[in-house]
This record gives sequence, structure tokens and C-alpha cells, in this order.
Amino acid sequence: MNTIGLYALIEYEVSKLWRVWIQILVTPWISALLYILIFGQIVGRRIGEISGVSYIDFVVPGLLMMNVMQSAFSHTSSSLYFRRFVKNIEELLAAPLSYMEMVAGFVTGGIIRGLVVAAGVYAVAFLFTATSVAHIFLFIFYSVSVALIFSLLGLLIGLWSENFEQLAIPQTFVIMPLTFLGGLFNSIHMLPEKFQWFVKINPFFYFVDGLRYSMIGISESNRTLGFVLIFALVFGLGFLVWYLFKKGYKIRT
Amino acid sequence: MSEFALEVKNLVKKYPVHGGDEKVAVDNISFSVKKGEFFGFLGANGAGKTSTINCITGIGKISGGEIKVFGYDAVKDYREARKKIGISPQEFNIDIFAKPKEILYFVGGFFGLPKKERQARIDHVFHEFGLEKYADTPFRALSGGYKRRVMLARAIVHDPELIILDEPTSGVDVELRYELWRILTELNKSGKTIFLTTHYLEEAERLCERIGIIFNGKIVALENKAELIKDGKTVEDHYLHYAGLQKNGV
Repeated sequence: MNTIGLYALIEYEVSKLWRVWIQILVTPWISALLYILIFGQIVGRRIGEISGVSYIDFVVPGLLMMNVMQSAFSHTSSSLYFRRFVKNIEELLAAPLSYMEMVAGFVTGGIIRGLVVAAGVYAVAFLFTATSVAHIFLFIFYSVSVALIFSLLGLLIGLWSENFEQLAIPQTFVIMPLTFLGGLFNSIHMLPEKFQWFVKINPFFYFVDGLRYSMIGISESNRTLGFVLIFALVFGLGFLVWYLFKKGYKIRT
Repeated sequence: MSEFALEVKNLVKKYPVHGGDEKVAVDNISFSVKKGEFFGFLGANGAGKTSTINCITGIGKISGGEIKVFGYDAVKDYREARKKIGISPQEFNIDIFAKPKEILYFVGGFFGLPKKERQARIDHVFHEFGLEKYADTPFRALSGGYKRRVMLARAIVHDPELIILDEPTSGVDVELRYELWRILTELNKSGKTIFLTTHYLEEAERLCERIGIIFNGKIVALENKAELIKDGKTVEDHYLHYAGLQKNGV
């Protein structure tokens, strides 16, 4: 194994965070601040409690998960697409790195970005409420595993995209809507019963709900199903991305 | 150990084209480059030079045949083979927002150089190419000549045994071309094997010990330079002959 090479790739991916740190770090923190201010403080006071907790405490885990997903996805998709766009991917292809090491390097960069952004959102939330973590290991598990899933998804989109528009499509048309419809701002019981099935088939619901359980101990989903879904996605997407790298899909001539 | 730095046997490279057909870019070529040799690989645009290089370095997939680098199979023993190769491609395939010191630091890392050793190599290579002043200038802000220097510095930062240069002097001024010739000659004298493609035939004649000419994916000439020009003709005369052209007009 080329451990120095893998570490260098991770260092390189992480170094990109500081190049445009306002866009990558400060922007999501300000967005989170606005969400917490409007939904948590202003709207939340009128809503009252959900399942025995204040609305702001109910919303914060969803905001954290949304930022983990979006940041991890953005990082790997844009990083890989940019490397393809300027043919800089050749730098990696000509190096003594295995495809597994390449995927691991990109994905670790995505996970780190997701967690750094989430840590900032957590700190912002802490200004308004006593955000807690009820189950620390579950909290780490959900944060890291979901960041991993979205880093892998980002790599798929980074491979598939032929232009910057295609790169932006999944974020706007898939990730954002499914996050909002996955119980980010509302309990599933706030929806009419005939629409609840739609939330239950949305995988994002299990991610948001899992993190919420780890933080405030409240869960509305079948968590066993959530675990199975997470493991299936990690292994399924991991294999698919590795296979596409190995085949040289859109990266090797 | 093999006496060859590079052995290419029956190499075939095909590209899919629209309509489900395939275009043969490299058509069953075989050649070898001895350790320490300065080898020139000449050919027109689209002749198959870059496709051959891509197959050697791992950038492109091999459609058929076999490539060995210092005895290591380029596909099965890719780690060992690639450690021995440094590549400077024709195009600037670099992260344009990165600074030269970052580019060399990370690429040295990809090739497995430990940090201490890496920094010493970066300092040496920066000095060799006169890049010290521009270590912190983003690549996109450099002049064309300095961009080319960074490309070459990146190719040798991990101290490879086989240096592959795809038209390294295209688009550079005469001063830099002479400077690069000096550096390449010194590298070759220090024992490095150099595989050079160029459109400047006088460059090949000046630097290379052996020359291969490729046309339409096939090698049409493979000779020692001395042997090639012993008839009193230049490398350019021979090249034009194989291309079916004449000097001063078609």
C-alpha cells in the first residue's frame, strides 16, 4: 500500500478547504445561522414543542445532517470534475496509487469537509440552544457514514458530469428536495397520514432521523432499517465507484 | 535486471469512435529503450506518439501488447513501474490554482517520497529550474516559460529513472529552449533515461542517441542517430522522406 501517497492525496483534498474558505466554510455557517434564527427562534416559538423537545432542538440535528450531506457531496463532485476538466486526473493516474487509494483519498477529503462544516453549524447552534448529544458513538456513526455515502455519490456525479450544469443538477433537484422532505423541519406526524409513506421511502429521512436520535433521543423511523440502508449504500456505492475507477470510466482514455 | 529502461512489445491502442467503430492509434508497435539512453520519438500530429506515452505511463488503457519499465510490467506491477517514470505531458494538466511548491509537494507525496526527503528534492528541483522566486505564485499567474519549467520540475521531483517528455519545448522561447536542453543533457549524463517527443527535428538531432519515427500508428524507422545520418542527410531529411514530403515544398 502507498500510505505516503494516500496521505498526500488526503492532504491535498483538505488543503482545498482553505483556498476558498469563505465559500466552503463561512457560507454554510451563515446559512445555518439564518435557519436557526428564523425557524428555531422566530417560527419555532409559535410551534412550541415536538415530542417533548423545543422546536429548535428538533431542527438542529436536521441542519447538521443537511450540511454534512451537501458539503461532502460538493467536495468530491467538484474536486473530481475539476481534475477531469483540466486533465489533472492524469497526475493521479500516472502515480503509483491504486484505484482504491484514489477513491479513499477523495472520500476522506469529502468526509473531513462535511464534518468541519457540521462542527461549525453545531457551534452556531450552541449560541441559541443547549445542543446535546445523547449517544456519542451513534452521533459519530451517523455523521461519518452519511458523509461517506455523499462523498461516494459526489464521486459518481464527478465522473458522470460533462459540464458544470450537470454537476449542479443533483444538488438542486435531488439532494435539497429530499433533505427538506426527509423530516428536516417537521415531524412525520405533522403530515397527513396519506403522505407519510412518501417520507418513509425517502432514504434521507433515515439519515436525519438517525442523527436526531443520537442527539436528542427522539426517533420516528425504523432505525434497524436505517442501519441496513446505510451499510447497503456504503458498500454498494463504494463498490460501484471503485469499479468505475478501475474501468477508467471517463478518466482514462 | 533488464538492460532496458523500456520495452514495448506489440503495443496496440484503439479508441472508440462514433458509430461503434474503433480507431487504431497505435498499430502493433515494438521497440525498446536502453538504460541511460536519450531516445527521440518523432511523428506528425496524430501519429500515435502521445497515445504510446499514455499507455506507458498508465494514463491510457492498453488495447493489446505488453509494456515493461525496468523489467516491471506496466499493468501488473504498475506501482514499481510508475515509481520509475516521470512524465511531462504536452498540455498543462495541472491544478492551475495551486502554487508550484504545493504542486511539487503533493506530487512528490503521490510517488511515496517521505516528507524530509521530499522537501530536499523540491529545493533541488526548484534550484535546477530557477523556480525559487515563483514557488508561491499560483500556476495560472506564471508566464508560459515558467509554466513549462513547473511541468518539467513536477516530472522529476521524485527522481525517476525514466523521464518521458512530450514536446517539452513547444511554445517556449529560444533562451529557455537552450536552458532546457542543458538540463536534459545533464540529467541524461547523470544516468537518467530520456524519452523525448518533439516537432523540432534539430532538437532530436542535437540531443538524441537513437530515433524512432512513427506514422499512422506504425514505426517506420528505428535507428541510431549516427547510423541514420551517416549518408550525409539530416534527421529532418529522413523524417520528410518517411512522411512522403520534400524540403522546401511538397
